[in-house]
Amino acid sequence: MTTAAPAGGPARKAGSPVVSAPKVGPPAFPPGSAYTGFLRIREPLAAWKSWLLGMLPVLALLAIWVFVTTGAAEERVISPTILPSPAEVIASFPLLWFDRALTRNLAVSFKRVVEGFALAVAVSFPLGVLMGSFTKVKAAFTPLTVFGAYLPIPTLVPLTLSLFGTGELQKVMFLALAFSIYLVPLFVAAVDAVDDTYLKTAYTLGASQSEAVSRVLLPIAWPEIWQAMRLGFGVGWSYILLAEMVDIGSGIGGIIITSQRRGPREHIYLVLAMIVVVAFFTDRLWAGVGRFLFPYREQKA
Amino acid sequence: MDEQPKVGPTVLGKLVLFLFVLACIGGAAYYFRNLIAPSGRDATGPVNMDEFKKVEAPDAKGITTVTEYKYVPGEKLPPVKGVSAYKWGADKVVNFPINVWIGWLPIVAANGGFSPNPDSIFAKKYGFKVNLKLIDDPVVARDAFAAGESHVLWGTLDMMVLFAPDLMKDSRSAPRVFQQIDWSSGGDGIVVRGAIGSVADLKGKTIVYAQNSPSQYFINNLLLNAGVQPSAVKHKFTATAFEAAAAFVADKSIDACVSWAPDIYNIPEKVKGTRVLTTTAEANKLIADVWAARADFAKDHPEVIKGLVAGIFEGMDRLQDPTQREKAYSWMAEGYGMQADEVRAMANDAHSTNFSENKAFFLNANDPANFERTWKNVTFVYRELGLIDTPVRFDEVMDFGQLQELDKAGSFAHQKDESRASFAPTSYKKISAESPILTQTIRINFYPNSANVYEPQHDENGKPVSNTLYDPSVAATLEKVARLVGQYERAVVAVVGHTDSSMKGKGTRFEDVKALSSDRAEAVKQALVKKYNFDPNKFTVEGKGWDEPANPDDPMNQALNRRVEISVYPPESK
Repeated sequence: MTTAAPAGGPARKAGSPVVSAPKVGPPAFPPGSAYTGFLRIREPLAAWKSWLLGMLPVLALLAIWVFVTTGAAEERVISPTILPSPAEVIASFPLLWFDRALTRNLAVSFKRVVEGFALAVAVSFPLGVLMGSFTKVKAAFTPLTVFGAYLPIPTLVPLTLSLFGTGELQKVMFLALAFSIYLVPLFVAAVDAVDDTYLKTAYTLGASQSEAVSRVLLPIAWPEIWQAMRLGFGVGWSYILLAEMVDIGSGIGGIIITSQRRGPREHIYLVLAMIVVVAFFTDRLWAGVGRFLFPYREQKA
Repeated sequence: MDEQPKVGPTVLGKLVLFLFVLACIGGAAYYFRNLIAPSGRDATGPVNMDEFKKVEAPDAKGITTVTEYKYVPGEKLPPVKGVSAYKWGADKVVNFPINVWIGWLPIVAANGGFSPNPDSIFAKKYGFKVNLKLIDDPVVARDAFAAGESHVLWGTLDMMVLFAPDLMKDSRSAPRVFQQIDWSSGGDGIVVRGAIGSVADLKGKTIVYAQNSPSQYFINNLLLNAGVQPSAVKHKFTATAFEAAAAFVADKSIDACVSWAPDIYNIPEKVKGTRVLTTTAEANKLIADVWAARADFAKDHPEVIKGLVAGIFEGMDRLQDPTQREKAYSWMAEGYGMQADEVRAMANDAHSTNFSENKAFFLNANDPANFERTWKNVTFVYRELGLIDTPVRFDEVMDFGQLQELDKAGSFAHQKDESRASFAPTSYKKISAESPILTQTIRINFYPNSANVYEPQHDENGKPVSNTLYDPSVAATLEKVARLVGQYERAVVAVVGHTDSSMKGKGTRFEDVKALSSDRAEAVKQALVKKYNFDPNKFTVEGKGWDEPANPDDPMNQALNRRVEISVYPPESK
């Protein structure tokens, strides 16, 4: 490292004077936004503050929950037959954990989501890249993807039943279908978003069609594709209830359906909370792996 | 030196340490595996068949055929606390959700359609309006009921058993059942593939049905009645009966499905090699459709409840007139968004229960298929399956107050029970040519040489000991048989007696053993007819002598051989 470089960042222009001493904390705002009120556009925020702010709505929600479910059953704002209190929900946790084998069912559902996702990526990734690269492929498949986006997915359950039976295959295939419908347009958009300049440069340098796809379009689109996969992975959890409607008995969708019919109500809310926890950690994992794979993406912002 | 001398473990050391820690975590996880990932409670463990008999305490007396409950419903019903939480305006509209089911025809007829109607019986005679709403999903119906959006919850009695514990957490939304609408009579059924001829053949097979629905009660009750452990069958669950039928058609590895009309009749027409095993046309007093009102609403507006009960009975009167009936079909078709023909085709799925049948259901403590017995039977089946922990008592839900008042007023004395099947005497030979739906070994144990069901115990000298019973559980066993026979009102029941073979080859004549075995069967039949007022012609009696030991692997278990067996045969084709 050369000691001549100014400490605050790269030199602006040759000949311009080094302006100020390096600032500690937030970087200088662009001109015209020297606003110092409570809310500032694109204000940098310390990690602890961001955590704290993130916790506030959660706590508020919890407080409202406690408020509407306090007191004897008949005196509550919302009856326990609709919404049990947080304490009641927590008290029913051992029953869910032991009698209804929460972890095993969670593992079963997680496995189904992962398998469905893998299958969906295996199909929609090549399709999405081809559609993003070649206009003719795109023209051919766009109507299908548009229909897919408007399709009420639940109506496909009986169809997957007759095609794939009632076992594990049907659940995975149903989830794969739901994932694909979501992923293909995102993959296309990711490849689409690659600037033409890169392509032109590649052609100037004598790249062939396949090289342009594999060495220009794909590498540049990778971070966006990863981001699409990260967003898409959550979609499976919203369809788990539909996927597990048949052959109930394993999986958390079955727990919810069963609890709706014969209680305890508490388990519905507990399972929802569990999905949130799982979603949080898998999303962290996606983000972490993303940072590892595409460190340069973080610097873009 | 450029590099500092290395301190700490080598690369290999780190690896070993890492593996060690990993192994520790893995070992701990394995050791605590039942804590981290418990396998859950086995929902369909083996059912203790002996417990089947002990659903009620033995009740040796009770020879009369009609015993009305002596208590006042209010004594047993849980009190309502707090401020009522249902929606009720000056326009007095009762929100009454219903599902797609022909049993609601009387209330549709009484209401003159689905929407609140000033010309309805309810508005004209009782001063309130009824809004019939199609809510087919029982979970949605339950939630609307719990939230006070609707005043009424539709359901079968077996659904009420599952819903009640949760709904009763709030005394205001506790369900109160005032009236039976119908018995499912052909609306629910079992379709099988291949060579399944009876319920017992389902052993080891795969069966699909909607969980926590009447289908689940229907099939598991059948299995228990046929002496098949529910765990001996592979159960596959779906969320709705429609999906069960779809899964059965789609997946050839499934041997049977429990579903509803019209699917159960359509499948055998469309899918080769399938047929209907049995329906509620045979088990026609098993699935009771009822409606329940919120406890707070019932407490505040008893006159509305009474109007609902009476109005529905008046709707049944109306349906006697063919033109009114056609009108009701078209109203119902409109409300369901169906064709009138489709509604008419459902007409045989249910048998509407009129005032006199409701009286038998709610008020007659001796009726073999009354509210109490149905409720207890459902509770028994579901508890054995591990579906409910703390069941609700029948008298915490059943309210016969309105029926009693209508009975005193004599308003519906003209509605006679015409549903009772009549039987022509028939022979065992004739009916046994067909295969029975259910075969059950009823072990009323008989004392040697005795055909007395209530035989006392004997001391060492062979002298009878007074106030004892050779078979102490005989009353409970008869109760169990009555419940089974009561569920199949139109079916023919074969009662077959057997003797032991202790005197075989010792000069005893076969005619004598045959006579003794016939007497045993006859005694069981008489005991049932006396207590539960069954039609005697419903039973055929046969004595088999010593020819068929109870257990072919243990033919000399003579106490077991002195027994009676009951088989339920489908009603003879008309």
